[in-house]
Amino acid sequence: MTDTRLVHTVGARALEWLWAHRDGFRLEPDVDPEVGFLERFKPVGELGVICSVLFREGVAGSRQARLARGLLDHAWREVLDGGRMLLRGQHKEPLSPIPWEVYLPFKELGYDLPDLERHALLNHRLDSWAALETKPNRRLGLSAFQRRSGLTPRPHEQEALAATWLARTPEPWTVEGHIAYDVTHTVFHLTRWGEDPDGLPARLADYLAAWLPVWLDDWRDLRHWDLLGELLVVDACLPRPTFDEAAWEAFAGAQQPDGAMPAVRGLPATDDAQELFDVVYHPTLVAAFASTLATSRALSDLAHAS
Amino acid sequence: MKQSGTSALLQGAVQDLASGVASALRGGGHPSREPLDAPLRPTGDLDLAAARVLGADLLLPGVLDHTPPPGARELDLARRAFDAYPPPATAAPTVAWSHWALGRALHRVTGPSGTAPAPGRVPEPGPEPDASWLTGAPWPSLTHHLAVLAPLALPVEDCALTRVARGRTLDVARGFVRAVRRRDWYQAAGAGRWLTVLPDVPHTLGLPGGLDFVELMGGGDSRVLLQVRAARLIGSGVTV
Repeated sequence: MTDTRLVHTVGARALEWLWAHRDGFRLEPDVDPEVGFLERFKPVGELGVICSVLFREGVAGSRQARLARGLLDHAWREVLDGGRMLLRGQHKEPLSPIPWEVYLPFKELGYDLPDLERHALLNHRLDSWAALETKPNRRLGLSAFQRRSGLTPRPHEQEALAATWLARTPEPWTVEGHIAYDVTHTVFHLTRWGEDPDGLPARLADYLAAWLPVWLDDWRDLRHWDLLGELLVVDACLPRPTFDEAAWEAFAGAQQPDGAMPAVRGLPATDDAQELFDVVYHPTLVAAFASTLATSRALSDLAHAS
Repeated sequence: MKQSGTSALLQGAVQDLASGVASALRGGGHPSREPLDAPLRPTGDLDLAAARVLGADLLLPGVLDHTPPPGARELDLARRAFDAYPPPATAAPTVAWSHWALGRALHRVTGPSGTAPAPGRVPEPGPEPDASWLTGAPWPSLTHHLAVLAPLALPVEDCALTRVARGRTLDVARGFVRAVRRRDWYQAAGAGRWLTVLPDVPHTLGLPGGLDFVELMGGGDSRVLLQVRAARLIGSGVTV
């Protein structure tokens, strides 16, 4: 049985690192047009999604709740300039779903940007938006976001789900790193980022319960902490999480004293703070995410058992 | 250097023996074009050691129906390996089980319905070794040990070890996935063979394709090839 304190500590330390390095979440308004202004929105979007999970689960503790709220405020006011950067991105690429995806977790927490919502409403009516060519699990994510926004998903989530790797429950021995990430994201979208474990169809939950232990074992041995963290999130979304002890202990052991979580093996040797941030922010966010969901599930299982 | 030279020679001898068995298993119900009963030649310590490594699988064609009987050389080797390497009381459980399995195979092929080319029945081996050490083993080490003991993965084999295995199908299936992911083809082939005799294998495992994949990637090793062919034969319903 994994020590819940150990799981919780991973998240608390990750959040401290994110707060201390919040200036790393920044856009590049003057970026080369070939790279694209919206490229730098990804970290902000992930920060919004995951901090909203921390808030929602309410198990992180009062200091962690304050830090999560502080990070969201920072992202909205400083990075997104009160939302104006989202509009600017939308005007640069009117058909892009990215500004709206970044916006939705903030909107659900009370931040407001009506002009961006008008763009989303218009785009939703366009066949071009529904026809955008994307990976199947991202298409599923877009449909899930439309439903969360109160829009009718185009295509429906069931249709989008059917095209994903996970929905076909293929041979588990064929999984490589990129497929594993497709699996984790399909689960995130189906469960509304862990909020609704029942969103995972029983057939897929059974499949994951059978094979997830192997993948946890594998990516733990490979010391691929970023992917291991996402797989631990998937575990916490299952009807009966395993809270895999060996995986959690290795994950906690990989975390640096300041709370940073390396992506693979150890931290890169660099003095460039932004370069280090770009490598570390995602696994550290994932660590906070996995810790919060696993702690929440462990506590609710405990409550049901008593 | 001498050590590694000896080791390489032994590996070569094991490969030769395994290759012969794998050839005999080829084609299921059809007699092999490469019969095992090649002319007897003098056998040395290396052959005996190789026979010990291959264990009961040396006699597998004689144990399974519709495959050619073992040749006189294989039977002789198996008999002598069985006598030459009795496991000490302190032997690792896999060593004890491997020896017991060889005795069981000798008893089968020399019995009244056996296929041995020469008379002289080998009695039942002694009592079964203990299998309780495997009951609570984590699934990765369970699979590792079972793969080493794949010669016991037979359609009607009933011993303490197979009873433990039958209760842990999902764990063995996980071990198969792990071995394939880690490119441990020998372990994957052994686990795959066990899965052909275990109940309720999850269909999402895709075992037939998995065995083909193991053969494609690791079939250059005759021991891998032997296990894959044994798995296919057993999976197709061949009995002992």
